[in-house]
Amino acid sequence: MYRELAWRNIWRNPRRTLVILTAVVIGIWSIIFLRALTRGMESEMLASGIKNLTGHIQIQQPRYVDDPVVDYSMDAGYPPMDVIAPLLPLGSAWAGRVRVGAVAANARHSGGITLVGIDPLREASVSFIGGAITGGHFFGGSDGNSVLVGRALLEKYETILGRKLILMSQDIHGEIVSRAFRITGIFDSDMESVEKMYLFIPLEAAQSMLGLGKRLSEISILLTDTGHEVSVVGRITPLLDDSRLAITTWQDRLPILAAYLNLSGSFIYIWYGVVFIAMGFGIVNTTLMAIFERMREFGLIRALGVSPGGIIGGVILESFFLLLLGLLVGNLFGMATVFLVAIHGIDLSALSAGTEMWGMPRIITPMLRCMDLFIANAVILILGLGVSLYPAIKAARITPVEALRYT
Amino acid sequence: MNIDIALAWRNIWRNSRRTVLTVSAIAFAASILVFMLSFQLGTYGTMIDASVSMRTGHVQIQAAGYLADQEIQLAFSWDDATRRAVLDGDPRVVATTPRAHGFALIASDKRTYGGMVTGVDPVREKSVSTLAAIVRRGRYFERSDGALVGEILARNLDVDVGDELTLLGQGRDGSVAATVVRVDGVFASGIDMYDRNVVLLPLPFFQDLFSMDGGVHEVAIRARSLGDVALLKRDLNRRFSALAGGGPPPVVLDWMDLTPGLLQSIQMDLVSGLIMYLILIIVVAFSILNTFVMAIFERTREFGMMMAIGISPGRLMRLVLTESFFMTATGLLLGIIFGVGVTLWFERYGILIPGSDEIMKAYGISGRLYPKLSLLSVLAGPCAVLVITLLAAFFPALKIRTMTPVEAMRHV
Amino acid sequence: MILSYPPLLWRLLGSLLSWGLLLIPSMASAAPLPSADTLVRDAFEYWRGSASTARLTMTIHRLSWKRTVSIDAWTQGESESLFVIRAPAKDRGNGTLKKGRGMWIYNPKVNRVIKLPPSMMSQSWQGSDFSNNDLAKTDSLIHDYTHTLKHHTTHGGHTIYTIKSTPHPDAAVIWGQIILKIRDDHILLAETFFDEALEPVKEMVASDIRSVSGKSFPMVWKMVQVESPDRYTRMVYETLAFSQGLPSHIFTRANLISSGR
Repeated sequence: MYRELAWRNIWRNPRRTLVILTAVVIGIWSIIFLRALTRGMESEMLASGIKNLTGHIQIQQPRYVDDPVVDYSMDAGYPPMDVIAPLLPLGSAWAGRVRVGAVAANARHSGGITLVGIDPLREASVSFIGGAITGGHFFGGSDGNSVLVGRALLEKYETILGRKLILMSQDIHGEIVSRAFRITGIFDSDMESVEKMYLFIPLEAAQSMLGLGKRLSEISILLTDTGHEVSVVGRITPLLDDSRLAITTWQDRLPILAAYLNLSGSFIYIWYGVVFIAMGFGIVNTTLMAIFERMREFGLIRALGVSPGGIIGGVILESFFLLLLGLLVGNLFGMATVFLVAIHGIDLSALSAGTEMWGMPRIITPMLRCMDLFIANAVILILGLGVSLYPAIKAARITPVEALRYT
Repeated sequence: MNIDIALAWRNIWRNSRRTVLTVSAIAFAASILVFMLSFQLGTYGTMIDASVSMRTGHVQIQAAGYLADQEIQLAFSWDDATRRAVLDGDPRVVATTPRAHGFALIASDKRTYGGMVTGVDPVREKSVSTLAAIVRRGRYFERSDGALVGEILARNLDVDVGDELTLLGQGRDGSVAATVVRVDGVFASGIDMYDRNVVLLPLPFFQDLFSMDGGVHEVAIRARSLGDVALLKRDLNRRFSALAGGGPPPVVLDWMDLTPGLLQSIQMDLVSGLIMYLILIIVVAFSILNTFVMAIFERTREFGMMMAIGISPGRLMRLVLTESFFMTATGLLLGIIFGVGVTLWFERYGILIPGSDEIMKAYGISGRLYPKLSLLSVLAGPCAVLVITLLAAFFPALKIRTMTPVEAMRHV
Repeated sequence: MILSYPPLLWRLLGSLLSWGLLLIPSMASAAPLPSADTLVRDAFEYWRGSASTARLTMTIHRLSWKRTVSIDAWTQGESESLFVIRAPAKDRGNGTLKKGRGMWIYNPKVNRVIKLPPSMMSQSWQGSDFSNNDLAKTDSLIHDYTHTLKHHTTHGGHTIYTIKSTPHPDAAVIWGQIILKIRDDHILLAETFFDEALEPVKEMVASDIRSVSGKSFPMVWKMVQVESPDRYTRMVYETLAFSQGLPSHIFTRANLISSGR
């Protein structure tokens, strides 16, 4: 009966209800949309940071971490991946690489790059390169002297698919080695710097060119989701000799990104608070108005023997319905906006120098998570009911005598 | 009219609880906006300042083409006479420092790397950039032929203060530039690219080593304020064109030319900030709209009576709008006072955002962020609130014009 | 930063040095037409001989400046060479030793030998249009290319052969094609370097053919950037002598130092 009464009460003055509903709707809409935008951006930044040859976890020779040169590669067969791989969570992927500084040259240009030797099958499921080929093809079976280059580098070197690049580096004995590679694939990245920095060649080609045998510069591990890095590291560390290997997580390697994600995460809660307070004033005010209009009514109800608790419950229930309705509509609007915007994303290409500086994607695609929706709704609902206590208590304090005196 | 104003003022306090809530909502929005906008602008100022004082300066004079090609030959001569001719007496120029760059092999006993060698004027550099402050070990240019080495480069070369470095490069005239220097200090700017690649030398020593013949590649200028940059850039460009000399005159670049990413990220942040503020204002407007609506509907009978005694609907409308304006203005005033107070407090003591150290380090900003109060940040937000609030008040007030006294008096 | 240093270094030169130093006139038979391979190999043997000692003047021309350097040069076989600057006085004693694939440089002022890291291999050698890499790879023309005879003309009593040299698919050379003009007495008259789109990038022309140690040899070599003809490097032999061999101690780091002092 209370429920019905409360529901009908909020429609006694539909205009007033609609106005306050609008405030709630816009509030929750803005929270949902903003959360989806920042979530989309964060997950894109995280994904591209991790897929940009970082991985969730990296295993390297300790000195390689600070000084990534060919001398500091890991011993052949160590770490023993056949022992470690089974300890990784289901769905994880790993890949071994050779990664060293090198010089790339053709008739028109020469300059420094980072040469990455990859195992095509493994690498495709660990880093961005597997899905970034937009011209030519990824390494196939017989691509011993193939090189994958970024689009920006291709332009810088005034070259095209099928042409040669000469790569020069220092092998493990300190001798200068150079070898010709044919451009068989072009990759694109949101970061021009990535396109200009990395050249990919097959792992065996890199190992033979640099005289590495079976040695690797690093092993990169991609987990199915962020958040488990530390426990996984905890599991594999005891098996490895830490004088021979350094195990780092993406937070160690991308401290700025990690800090940014933290900051962005806490900032969104501040925004929840700000929007809520703006809405809260409206909720309290409207509810108060409704209560003072109905002084006589409350007096009557009290006179009929309803306890103050009952009245508080009734008022709260009214707010509850009001909030519920606002949240419902707001969620629908929010989700609709997110889906509409997600079709094309928000294109920031015009500010690409700015996005690049922060490692942001050029196109932001909003992204909704159930957990985010739940938290946003719960926060508004709980706080909304919380502030309704004030008018509810006011209502409960009304005595029948006072109420009758009230005009 | 005066009566109306007094009446409006009294009317809004007839339901003081409601008015307090409405005024608080407006005050809240206004103070948030004042603070946030000041904070944003302050942060930009800090970022620009940090970037500018890390290296670039507000404005730089460079030889034409040097920005794109970085060839050692693209130098221009910079002496006291030129400086006096171009810069002296310009109050916008606070400090200047000349620099020159060359590429060289940088070798320690154990390792050899290719890197950049930069010559700086040890005394002048201090007044333009923070270089002296980021020397983490050793001293800032102790000897006339001492070197400062980036922290990562020092680690890679395995050298520290007091160790020797051999530099071998190519001078401006193509001659061999070779010397052995002793490491005076190790610096860490927080920008890996810089800390990994650069060795700094006193400028006269550099010019001698690289046969610069008195030439430099850039002159970094610290301006009086950011606001002076645009005009200063234009005036300097004119002065250089007027100085007839051989070859193309040097060009004047500002921090936006030198660090385009910084400007764009500021624009990006500003736009996203503005959108959020707009949403906030709209939510507030709807939150307080009820008050305005109620101010009319509760009092329909009263209005009917007033119309019956000959007060025009137009005047009633003005009365109601005046009430709304009073509420809004009171809210804004309180909001501005509170917002300014909070902002000033933080402007004095700074804000430490946990976890943001790393981000700020990327820009060479260390520690706290400081909001910066300005006329713009104080007025922009509250003005927007005023406009949107009055708009919200206007629609219910329109209703008055359609009222007739008889109907209105019948209203319960 | 250093790594994006402009490409000019590569440009001019190529074989300048390899060209300079030849020996042993080979007796080209007057048979029908020699094969392109033979022509190139003979020309290469002719320039290089087994060993040479020379003093040359190198002038680097740029739009706004030029620089002249006097160099002592020793070469032996395909992969050993030593260059030491004699003038200007300021740079006197700066030397470069190439042995196998490695390169070392010596500077008397710092009195140190430094092995060049790969990142520096594409940098300019002593400010010229030769990159260090060009010095390190003088025998590339013989090993890395397939040669075909395009045509031949007769000029001043000599037959001049035009040969197209195409790099092997896997050869570590940056050029897409090289066109050689070789005279019937094994003198290389011109060499044009093309990129992979077969656009000319730089061109080397030899002139002032004189008789040295009993054989004809061009005394002037000029390497021009095709797209900006005002950037070039010109080398002139002051003295040149060919021999059957040089003592092996010449191509050592100790000698790099002692000849620089």
